Amino acid sequence: MSDFAELSGIDYLVVNINAVNSDNALHDREQIVQLLKLSDLNLDPNVTYFIVAKKGDSVIGCAGLDHNIIKCVAIHPDYQGNQLNLILMDKTIKYAQDRGYFHLFLYTKPENEPIFRGCGFYPIVTIKGVVVLMENSPVGIKQYCKQLTLQRKSGSKIGAIVMNANPFTKGHQYLVDYAAKQCDWLHLFVVNEDASRFSFADRFKLVKEGTAGVANITVHPSSEYIISKATFPTYFLKERAKIDQAYMGVDLLIFRNYIAPALQITHRFVGTEPYSEVTHAYNEAMRYWLQDAGVSSAPAVRLVEIERIKEGDNIISASLVRNLLDAKQYDRVKTLVPSTTWNYLAKHLN
Amino acid sequence: MKKLRRSMLFIPGANAAMLSTSFVYKPDSIMFDLEDAVSIKEKDSARLLVAQTLQLPIYKESGIETVVRINALNTPYGLDDLEAVVRAGVDVVRLPMTNSAEDIHELEAHVERIEKACGRPVGSTRLMAAIESALGVVNAVSIAQSSPRLIGIALAAFDYLVDMQTERGDGTELFYARCAVLHAARVAKIDAFDVVYGNVNDDEGFIKEATFAKKLGFNGKSLINPRQIDLLHNIYAPTAKELDYAKKVVAAAEEGEKAGLGVISLNGKMIDAPIITRAQSIIELAKYSGVRRED
Amino acid sequence: MKIVQEATAGTLESSDLLVKVQPNQGLEVVINSDVNKQFGDQIRKVVDNTLQTLNVTDGLVIIDDKGALDCAIKARVECAVLRGSDEMKTLDWSKLL
Repeated sequence: MSDFAELSGIDYLVVNINAVNSDNALHDREQIVQLLKLSDLNLDPNVTYFIVAKKGDSVIGCAGLDHNIIKCVAIHPDYQGNQLNLILMDKTIKYAQDRGYFHLFLYTKPENEPIFRGCGFYPIVTIKGVVVLMENSPVGIKQYCKQLTLQRKSGSKIGAIVMNANPFTKGHQYLVDYAAKQCDWLHLFVVNEDASRFSFADRFKLVKEGTAGVANITVHPSSEYIISKATFPTYFLKERAKIDQAYMGVDLLIFRNYIAPALQITHRFVGTEPYSEVTHAYNEAMRYWLQDAGVSSAPAVRLVEIERIKEGDNIISASLVRNLLDAKQYDRVKTLVPSTTWNYLAKHLN
Repeated sequence: MKKLRRSMLFIPGANAAMLSTSFVYKPDSIMFDLEDAVSIKEKDSARLLVAQTLQLPIYKESGIETVVRINALNTPYGLDDLEAVVRAGVDVVRLPMTNSAEDIHELEAHVERIEKACGRPVGSTRLMAAIESALGVVNAVSIAQSSPRLIGIALAAFDYLVDMQTERGDGTELFYARCAVLHAARVAKIDAFDVVYGNVNDDEGFIKEATFAKKLGFNGKSLINPRQIDLLHNIYAPTAKELDYAKKVVAAAEEGEKAGLGVISLNGKMIDAPIITRAQSIIELAKYSGVRRED
Repeated sequence: MKIVQEATAGTLESSDLLVKVQPNQGLEVVINSDVNKQFGDQIRKVVDNTLQTLNVTDGLVIIDDKGALDCAIKARVECAVLRGSDEMKTLDWSKLL
């Protein structure tokens, strides 16, 4: 019986691959990298903890955990096709739960989708030939969209903006005013992660206050399905120079396939910076994933780029505001943000 | 014939796969473990799983006795375990770390209360005591005699050897405890079970230890690997020679009875009642286990 | 009985099942089974009966079955529900067995 014998002698343990002081961790890290290579995968820099299956000294299976996102799952070719993947995934799911993560996402190659369906994961979106994002609930995104549907507004032109607003500036305000005027209704999503300088609660409050004068707007907290660590992990890296095309596609396809239909969104508005290559590349990608007929059967969402406004020679941006705050140039900050944001900043200057 | 208890197979209570296949190995008894084999986090889950598994009719149908090792009553799990398994109709409750007759009396009182509450005939839940400490070994006789519900006592080596400040070796370290537990069982006329043999890959070592325990007089042994069941049953099976002799003894006894002889003899040796009883049980045993393979 | 918190019970190992429960308005059950085609109806029946006996009125119950016996299905569903409902302390054993 396999249950008693076949997979005995395999140990399952959690490895912190960044534990640089431990020889064991270095050894395991080396083996994990080798194992991932066999599956044509790279070690993801966001993954600290790996659940590994070991036979003696060798790592024969591994699954990485980045918060509630499972990635870098690999099984040695000699051990594929038996129960090892199920047990490894079971241990990984349990470990995530122990850390408080019940709702889990998983990245894998599209050809491995059936294996993970067998582990209770359901596909959300697939970037053909590259990656599929799955979640461990058959109803996760559907339930979220059901809730969104309740906030649906009628009209032929429904706009959407997703912003971090870190913090909310006159530039954001201009973008919102402009978009709202063009649309019957505007849905504004504020990125709901506490990975930025200003907390989500504060950012959300400042957006609400700064858009209080707009009549046709709903301000939503974004969810795990809109620019979250799960759908767009590289968004939160300090160095955003090299945005991963695949991840960008995942986030935008979710928007096009699920979010936009739920709220009947027809247009997505975005600010543009003529001299920034990163923004330029991002907006190019947005146009492709939101509008191209080949990547999705869902209706296209028109991308509307709005050139950002300037104060003097400088484009108004949240990063400029943050830099000026660091340099204690408060008089200049005051000219770049709405009075609601300034009142908040002034209170927290010390 | 008296219930055979040669093999008692340990099954971790949280493992659904093992629970649902264990009966195919046909041990004499299956012991579902809720104690050491189950992590603290899975205590609730294992308890429910074992309770539901006990409802399967297969155990009764195949004559396999069901035993559940519950957690000690002074843990947060022991009483819930007992509630679940007595209601679920377990044949035998195994109490770990039995140090005295009082431990069994306490268990017995709870079992009776639960039997009454759920409508199970009072007394139908049998008990067995695991002896795992120096105190338990010293009190073995009073433990073995503590309740009519007891079907046996078992020696468990791990904690006992820690208690004795020694470790597992060639068997010398367990010699006194084995003899003490065995004597206590015989005094109380209940069964005695030998310790688990831990190295599942060492058949030779297992056979050696089990043969030794059988020679001492143990009724059976606790097992953790189903592969050991057949090895063990073979050790307990009579040899062809023993069976042949037993048949002759019984035949001679029957003839002697017909002839109204007071004293029976076979090949010039006198045969008395204990020899006849033993011969009958060897014939009976051979029906279950066949004749020993000499491989 | 309502599911008030996320909880799981069981495993993805062969002959077992993983049961996930989470709060929900009304009762919803999703079953994903390796043996769906042959035994789907039977699995659903066991799950529905178990939930009914426990009087679960609100919750989302997601099951990944790996060919478990009925008794294991019953036990795992009971366990997940009890863990998710915070009623483990006041167990009524006469209901569970």
